[in-house]
Amino acid sequence: MTFCPVCGLKFDRGNYRMLADHFVDQSRASDFRHISWLNRNVSKDLMKAEDLSVSLMTFYHISGGIGKWIITDFVRRFRGDSPHPFILAMQQYDPEVIRGYVVEHHHFLKQWIRSCSYIIAKTEFEDVQSFELENIMTELHGYGASEPSHHELLIRMGESLGLDRNFILAEKPLKQTVEAIKIWNDLAASGSWISAMAAMHSLELIANRDLSNHGARYPYFNPSILSDKMVPEEVKTFLREGYEADVSHSYTALQLVERHARNEDTEEIQYAYLRSAEAFSDYLEARLERGVMLGNK
Amino acid sequence: METNNRKGCALCDATWGEYYREIDGNRMFFCCDICADIFENMVSEVKKRTGWKNIDHVDLNGNFSLGRQCTAKSGKETFNFYFRTYSDGRMMKFEER
Repeated sequence: MTFCPVCGLKFDRGNYRMLADHFVDQSRASDFRHISWLNRNVSKDLMKAEDLSVSLMTFYHISGGIGKWIITDFVRRFRGDSPHPFILAMQQYDPEVIRGYVVEHHHFLKQWIRSCSYIIAKTEFEDVQSFELENIMTELHGYGASEPSHHELLIRMGESLGLDRNFILAEKPLKQTVEAIKIWNDLAASGSWISAMAAMHSLELIANRDLSNHGARYPYFNPSILSDKMVPEEVKTFLREGYEADVSHSYTALQLVERHARNEDTEEIQYAYLRSAEAFSDYLEARLERGVMLGNK
Repeated sequence: METNNRKGCALCDATWGEYYREIDGNRMFFCCDICADIFENMVSEVKKRTGWKNIDHVDLNGNFSLGRQCTAKSGKETFNFYFRTYSDGRMMKFEER
């Protein structure tokens, strides 16, 4: 099946002409989300459906594997010439931004383990189950006092910047985070395990140091933060964990996706990744907005 | 009021969409209602900060991700500013620069 990357409407496999007709219809209706997707991913110039179908075919064309296709798109979207505003904000140390990160990311991590659990429940492959089990342990459970979970490190980072642990745990997520979590949950609950895996683990590319070898222009954060004496150790510890761990995690997951993907899985994987990346972009904005709300106290 | 985006949407210059809104007595083309909201909010903010009653021209340079560096003109006066919005059109940052 071919899917509309914005609303999920389904078309026959490889039928980019029908998808183009759908986009042209949505453009005539001046639908913000469809037009925004075209502007950012294909072209700002109006096209006939016939020409748009060729552009869409080019956009979805895979050369060198689905993993490479995802990495290339992710770099352009978040860490390329026009990086996401959250990436720009992380190029200098700003306690306000980090506080926003903490409060919204707590909710992201809760959904993260739900999505990983769906993958475990749906797959028959033991290498995938082992990978996800380890991931859940690392992200939310940890391995005793000597190896606290990323969730625990996140809370300690917030506490070091004056946030109360109970506040972090009790505060409701912002609207963009709620909507993103709904998309991630729906993708995992109703989609295939392999598309859910691509949708979720592609997001770990955000912190991947190796993306500079794939054209990334900006690091996830300015590495000088890790040696800045003004930055609390808890902030450095959390950022360092992600900085070092996610290189292997995001690549390993995409390698598992490539290993187990069948030809008929490709379009659903691309769809799930694209929906997830759009949701992630909105969610990263929520981190910034939350930071502004909390203020630089 | 005119902008440097002569081809399409007054805010982003896209030629998708068929959305029109009257702003300051001018019927302006936008690709979608969110772009129209952003433009309308931007115009209000410029008027609030300058005290101008009307704006003749706005030059916008940038995009959604990086934000937009702009110059507004009213008669012989100019006002330079930068702004960026959230995806849903709400203002994230607006500053004179």
